[in-house]
Amino acid sequence: MTTTLPELDRARDVALDLSGWGRRFVFYQPRNFAFWGYLALVGIGVLNFFSTLAREYNAYGEAIGLAVTSFAIYAALFWWFTDRIDHYAKLPHKLMVVAFVWGGFAATGTMAANANDAILAIYGKTFGQVWALNWGAGLAAPFTEELAKGSGLLLLIALAQRHIRTAFDGFILGAFIGLGFQIVEDILYAMTSAGTQFGANQIGASVGTIILRMLTGVAAHILYSAIFCAGVIYLFGRPAEPRRIGRGLLLIAIPMLLHGIWDSVATIAGQNALTLIGLLIGTIVVALIIVARVYQLTVARERDFVRDVMAPEQARNVISPIELDAMAGNRKARKAYRKAGRNRQERRRARYILDAAYALADELAAARGADIDRVRFARSEVARIRAGLPSPW
Amino acid sequence: MPDPGAEVSSAASAPRFEPDEGWVPADERLFGLDRRTLRPTLAVFALVFIMSVVLPVINAAVPYHDIVRAGDVMELEGNVTFVPEAGWGITSGLREGHGPISGQYPAAATIEHGALKFTVRTGPFHGDAGQLLDQIEATTDALDQGRGVHITGAPATIVTAAGKEGATVRVTGPHTGGLIAAFVFGDRGVEAVATGPTDAGAEPSAAVLRMIGSISQSGQEKR
Repeated sequence: MTTTLPELDRARDVALDLSGWGRRFVFYQPRNFAFWGYLALVGIGVLNFFSTLAREYNAYGEAIGLAVTSFAIYAALFWWFTDRIDHYAKLPHKLMVVAFVWGGFAATGTMAANANDAILAIYGKTFGQVWALNWGAGLAAPFTEELAKGSGLLLLIALAQRHIRTAFDGFILGAFIGLGFQIVEDILYAMTSAGTQFGANQIGASVGTIILRMLTGVAAHILYSAIFCAGVIYLFGRPAEPRRIGRGLLLIAIPMLLHGIWDSVATIAGQNALTLIGLLIGTIVVALIIVARVYQLTVARERDFVRDVMAPEQARNVISPIELDAMAGNRKARKAYRKAGRNRQERRRARYILDAAYALADELAAARGADIDRVRFARSEVARIRAGLPSPW
Repeated sequence: MPDPGAEVSSAASAPRFEPDEGWVPADERLFGLDRRTLRPTLAVFALVFIMSVVLPVINAAVPYHDIVRAGDVMELEGNVTFVPEAGWGITSGLREGHGPISGQYPAAATIEHGALKFTVRTGPFHGDAGQLLDQIEATTDALDQGRGVHITGAPATIVTAAGKEGATVRVTGPHTGGLIAAFVFGDRGVEAVATGPTDAGAEPSAAVLRMIGSISQSGQEKR
C-alpha cells in the first residue's frame, strides 16, 4: 500500500501520465496523417451540408431558420450536460469540438447518407419495396451510422494519442460525435418535413418533427455513440485501459441493436398505437438504463485518477480524507459531503471547497504535478474558502 | 480539520518536459509523417470508400424489375390511389393492399417507361387545385432557381374519371418536357408530374392522361 509522500507523488505522476489529464491539445498537426484525413472528410461533409442548405433555403427558409435555432439551443443544453459529466480527468474542450464536427459533417454527409441510400435501394430491389419499408431502415442505419460515427474516434485517437486514454474518454467523445450527428440529421429531417405540404405551412409541417426529434433524441445518437465509442476503446485498448475484446464487442453491438429496434419500432408494433407508444417508451428506458451502467463501468478509472492526483494533497492536509472521498466519489458521495454541514453556511462552504479542490486538481494536471505558482495559488484558494475569508481578487 | 499551513512540498518545482504534440520520433517517421497515424486513417478511408463508392456502385449494378400488371393499383398516404399503366416499371411506391406492417403508405410513388417518368406525391393542403398548383410552382422555382424545368403556358382544368376537377400546366426544361397536375381532396393535396424527353413530342401521351385521370381518394384517411 502507498503510504509515504514521495510514493504518493510518484503515484500522482503515473496517474497524470496514464490519463493524459491536463495536457494541451493542438489540432494543427501537419505531420499527422489523421489530421489530413479528418480535414478532407469533414470538408466534404461541410460542402455537402451547406450546399444542400443553400439550395433549399429559398424554398424552405422559414423552416430552416426554425430548425437551426431550435437545435442550436438543444445542442447547447446537451453540450452543457455532457461537459458536466466529464468532471474527473477532463478532456480538452477543443477535442470535444473536433468530435462534434466529425459527427455533424463527416459521419453524416460524407459517409452514412451515401451508404443508407444505396443499402435501402438494394434492399428494395432484392426483397421488395414493402420489405424495405418495413425493415430497411432498421437493418441499414445501425451499421452505417454507428460505424460512420465510431470510426471518427479512430482519427481522434490518432490526433490526440496523449489525451484519449480511457473508455470514459471514448464515452464522452462518442457522446459529442453523436450530438453533432444528431443535430445535423435533425436539421435535415426538419427540412424534409417542410416540403411535405408542397412548401406551404412550413412551420406547421416541420414543428412536429422538431419536437419529436428533440424528445426522442434523449435516447438516440448521443447515447448510441457514447456506448459504441467506449466499446471501441475496450476493443483496441489504450495505455490506461487494458484491451477487453469481449466487452468491447458487446458495447459496440448494444447500440447497434438499440438503433435497429428504434428504427423498426413502427413495424414491430404494427398498427396498434398503444403498443407503439409502449415500445417507444420501453426502448428509451432500456437505452437509458444501459447508458447509465456503461457510465458507471467506465468512470471508475477516472475516479481512481482523481484519487491518485489528490491523495498527496490530502497527505499534505490541503484537503481532508472525507473531501478526497467526495472528490473521487460519485454524485451521492459529493452530496453526502455537502449535506454533512451543520447549517446552510457550512453546506454552502463545503460546495465551494469541493469546487476549489477540483480546480486545484485541474491545475495540478496542467502542471504535470509540479509545484508551480498556479498550483500554489489554487491550494491557497482551498485554504481561503475553508477559513471563510473573502476573495482579495 | 486539516491544517492548510502544514503542506510540505516534495513535488518538482517545474513540469517535466514533454515534447510538442507535433513532434514525431525519428524512428516513427515516413515521408515526414507519423507512421503510427497511417493505419487508423487508412482504415477510416477504407470505410468511407465502401460506404460512398462500393455500395452505390453495387446498387447501380443490381437490376430492378417490378413491372405493372393489368389491374394493379398504386396506393399513397391518405388513401390516394392511381392506376398505373400495365408494362411500366415501378421504381418507388406500393400497390394497394400491399402496404407496410405499420399501415402507413409512402407519400410518393414513381413509375417509369423508357425515358418517361410519372410521379404522384401527396400531402396535407388547405386550398383548391389552382392554389396548390401555384404553391407547387413557387416551391419548384425556389428550389430550381431557374436551372430546372419551368412552367410554360396558362393553367388549364383537368377532370379525373371520377369527375374530380384539378388544375394542370405544361412544364419544359433544357431536355425534358411534360406536365404537372394538381388535385385537392378535402384537406389532402395531390401532385402528379409527368416528364419525358422533349423530342418525344409536346403532347402528353394517352397513357399519362389515363393515369392522371385515375387519381382518386377512397374512403376515410387512415390515421
